[in-house]
Amino acid sequence: MAEVAYDKASRIFSGNPPVRAVDELSLDVADGEFLVLVGPSGSGKSTALRMLAGLEDVDEGAIKIGGKDVTNVPPKGRDIAMVFQSYALYPHMTVAENMGFALKLRGVAKGEIKAKVAEAAKMLDLTKYLDRKPKALSGGQRQRVAMGRAIVREPAVFLMDEPLSNLDAKLRVETRANIAALQQRLGTTTIYVTHDQVEAMTMGHRVAVLKDGLLQQCDTPRALYDKPGNAFVAGFMGSPAMNLKTVPLTAEGAKLDGLVVPLERRALDRAGADGLSEVTFGVRPESLALVGSSSVGMEMVVELVEELGADALVHGAVRIGGAAERFVVRVDGRTPPGLGQTVKVAVRDAGEVHLFHPESGVRLSS
Amino acid sequence: MRRFLDRYWYAYAMVLPVVLVTGVLVLIPLAQGVFFTFTDINEGNIANPVLDRPATFSGVGLVNYLHVLSGDPAYGSFWSTLARTLVWTFGCVLAHFTIGLGLAVLLNRRVRGRAVYRALLILPWAVPSFISAFAWKYMFNAQYGVINQALRVVGLPDPVWLGQSDWALVAVMLVNVWLGVPFMMVALLGGLQAIPADLYEAAEVDGASPWQRFRDITLPGLRAVSGTVVLLGVIWTFNMFAVIYLVTGANPNTRILVTYAFERFFSGASRDYAIASTYGVLILSVLLVFVAGYRRALRGQEAA
Repeated sequence: MAEVAYDKASRIFSGNPPVRAVDELSLDVADGEFLVLVGPSGSGKSTALRMLAGLEDVDEGAIKIGGKDVTNVPPKGRDIAMVFQSYALYPHMTVAENMGFALKLRGVAKGEIKAKVAEAAKMLDLTKYLDRKPKALSGGQRQRVAMGRAIVREPAVFLMDEPLSNLDAKLRVETRANIAALQQRLGTTTIYVTHDQVEAMTMGHRVAVLKDGLLQQCDTPRALYDKPGNAFVAGFMGSPAMNLKTVPLTAEGAKLDGLVVPLERRALDRAGADGLSEVTFGVRPESLALVGSSSVGMEMVVELVEELGADALVHGAVRIGGAAERFVVRVDGRTPPGLGQTVKVAVRDAGEVHLFHPESGVRLSS
Repeated sequence: MRRFLDRYWYAYAMVLPVVLVTGVLVLIPLAQGVFFTFTDINEGNIANPVLDRPATFSGVGLVNYLHVLSGDPAYGSFWSTLARTLVWTFGCVLAHFTIGLGLAVLLNRRVRGRAVYRALLILPWAVPSFISAFAWKYMFNAQYGVINQALRVVGLPDPVWLGQSDWALVAVMLVNVWLGVPFMMVALLGGLQAIPADLYEAAEVDGASPWQRFRDITLPGLRAVSGTVVLLGVIWTFNMFAVIYLVTGANPNTRILVTYAFERFFSGASRDYAIASTYGVLILSVLLVFVAGYRRALRGQEAA
């Protein structure tokens, strides 16, 4: 058990110009916390994890585990266990040997290894497969062996690098819950890398969003969702993505087609201070609602309806400042509008609107 | 039957040339060789169309085998020659494998000029083996060879390498190791590159030292490749005629089974085809037994 700290840690890949794969990352992870690093590919999330594992050099800054500076300590001395995307199971060893390998290297007595492996196997429902080789296992079983190999070690920190990305959709959802429950039970600090924002939202105590090697925001899933710190986080977290449009600003608020959304004072003041005539306006699909034809709202021509069962996602075009902009609205799945129909869309609650600086993307609303 | 041919004639037509070539070049000579082992055929009694002489050899049953297996020096001292063949074979293959593996491991990391090293190390393989053999023969020359000159400079004894002693065997083994290492290195390098990098990372995180990673990841990961190349190496070396013949000729101290079969067939007072063929059949038998045992051992290892 230990807390983890990145202190302005950077990884620079040589090249012309050099690439700052991870750029001055500062992050504190509390003991027992489940932190998810999320971002699109190339955002540096895996590199950040591998720096913590000791598989990647730290070119600037420092990394601490349990208060101890491990920046130049090899992986062996860091008391960590890692679950790889490919699982990296040793193909010539049985499940039991795979799980007990680290203990064997540490010179733990055979009987003790056996007991620990048996205990972990029981936890992961692998008891029946202990004598099998990895190639005789299904994808889900292999994933559990990889988890088991990490658990048996009883490390200070678990590192997981997209451990679910090779599973099919149904198994992924199931395993997601299992991993979260297991982490809860063991109480081991866990850093989990994923590109899937649903995984990030559902699993993490806190989620750190990275882009181009830079930490964008680190907060609880709820806070990230409700108050994204910038336009990138707003667009990245949540599925379907938030509607983000550049709209003209008036004294009353943001001007959309046939609809002026009133804005809070603070946001207007800030926009005014920067002399902005436009802002990036964000509203989640569920914060929009279809309203009666006589009500105030934007006129939207329905172009696509995705029926999800409980909900339906209505994609359509709205004219803003002469150009057609696409919006997504989440509506009741039982009464979706038809294709080609013109509907009226209004914002459910002006408090659910997000405003960002049109250039820097920084959040303007509180 | 007719329908069968109608349907598959094309496949059979495609296979036929290979079957014919294999039959003519392998199976017929093999059958003929086995047949000769039961006769007293030699240069004097074989059919000779030039002299218009009919064949006069006759069947002798198992006499050839009895002569050879008795270990009689008149018939090539079979058992001691077999022992020397085994020393030669396993000594060479062991050296091929360990040196080849060492070089492959060195080349499997990012070093500056890796391509150059690789090309240089493959060079002995690319040079025709008779050139290498003669070059070594000159280097081993007792008086003028560079090896002995160097030994004299350092003050070490300078043996007559290619004379009538076991130094000759050491010398041909050195030459064969030189020739055989590149193949092992290339094959094992391919095997090393097929081991996923994340296995090494997983082992590193699990706390394995470089030696433990080599023992627990590299060696098991190479098992499929090394099993095959060691098998090939043993067969090739067991039957490696050219190097020995080119470097030491008919020196009894470097005599292995194939070189004796050759001597018996092409030289000597009477070219004794029967005994040469008997040696051939015995070589084949030894290798078959070895291959069967080796494959069983490999399979056992895999199941364990």
